[in-house]
Amino acid sequence: MYEAVHAHPDGDATVARHAATAARYGYEGVVVRTRDALDPAGEDGEPSSEAAALRDEYGVDVVDAVEIDADDATSASGAVGNYRSERTVVCLVGGGDGLNRFAVEEPRVDVLARPMDGRGDFNHVLAKAARDNGVHVEFDLGPLLRASGGGRVRALSDLRKLREIVAYYDAPHVVSANPRSHLELRAPRELVAAAEAVGFDPEWVGAGLRAWGEIAARNRERRSEAFIEPGVRRGRYEEDG
Amino acid sequence: MKHLPKHLRPRWRYVAVGIETWPDADLGRRAFQRALWYAAGNLIGDAGSADADLTLLSFSHGDGAGEAVIKVRHGHVAEARAAIACVSEVDGDPVGIHVRGISGTVRACEERYMRRADPLSTQRDVAFGDAERSAVVRGDACDVRVESGYVGAAAFDIE
Repeated sequence: MYEAVHAHPDGDATVARHAATAARYGYEGVVVRTRDALDPAGEDGEPSSEAAALRDEYGVDVVDAVEIDADDATSASGAVGNYRSERTVVCLVGGGDGLNRFAVEEPRVDVLARPMDGRGDFNHVLAKAARDNGVHVEFDLGPLLRASGGGRVRALSDLRKLREIVAYYDAPHVVSANPRSHLELRAPRELVAAAEAVGFDPEWVGAGLRAWGEIAARNRERRSEAFIEPGVRRGRYEEDG
Repeated sequence: MKHLPKHLRPRWRYVAVGIETWPDADLGRRAFQRALWYAAGNLIGDAGSADADLTLLSFSHGDGAGEAVIKVRHGHVAEARAAIACVSEVDGDPVGIHVRGISGTVRACEERYMRRADPLSTQRDVAFGDAERSAVVRGDACDVRVESGYVGAAAFDIE
């Protein structure tokens, strides 16, 4: 299972501290959403030397990602084009109807992060588009763990609505607690238990935590030299005569 | 009062949790117990909290690390785990919390999951980013003092 973290300078803990804590909690990897926190992967998808060193040190996979936080679909489109060739995982922060719509209709986006934040909303049209384009919809468990009062109630009712729509259309999903420091990180079993207490299916939450790793593995394979297009790879051939 | 016959006594599970905070946080037992019960009340309601119990049996904390044993009624461990995950701060200090394991007796819980000797923390200056800063180092973990508070780093960052 993987967790997608905000690392220093965006968050309050460095990538190494997140990786050390995640390893202790039983994660297989961390996806670093903060662009400035980790060097991008190499040309053909192999982890950067920093990520490889962290892997050797702590035994967790460290994935370079970017979280695009744009004002509107036009600027988001430019940013997606810029970062797609550079980063292993591309997330786009939703939170407005235009941005959510743009993200689910853009196959180059891996994850639509926090779609219900702010004035964002989700419906069946977006769910179908997300399914057809393979865009994973993120379920942000942060408010469940850290918010209180009315804000938490609203966030939970949004999560329920999102869950019902996404599960009905079988759109791909990811689950994360959006930790901003090692103190906000929670072990996978705790996340599953907390989500179960608010009505999520534990298996489904587990699948959402594993999906980060599947996205990273797929994108690394796509960027590797042997990859031509889905189903076609450059391999070894028998030589004639 | 005369104690209950054995088959009527509630059965308990003892949950060992590890606690992490910034080094300047001062966590008290009562404050932690209150935060735990509040988290349970807010997540699983009064009825659920009464079922799960969640009484603190032992608690220790100092220099940014701590541990506790929580008593939970048998059969309500999943709810208890969920409530424990929702403890995000105690008296305004953010806390990291993690279930180390669950035992059927207090003794097994302490023998198996409580660490007698935590690595001692030391205060020293480290090179972080492009400046020399003071930091609290405990084993691999290293909390670096910056203008706005602390940044969690690891030995990997300061070598």
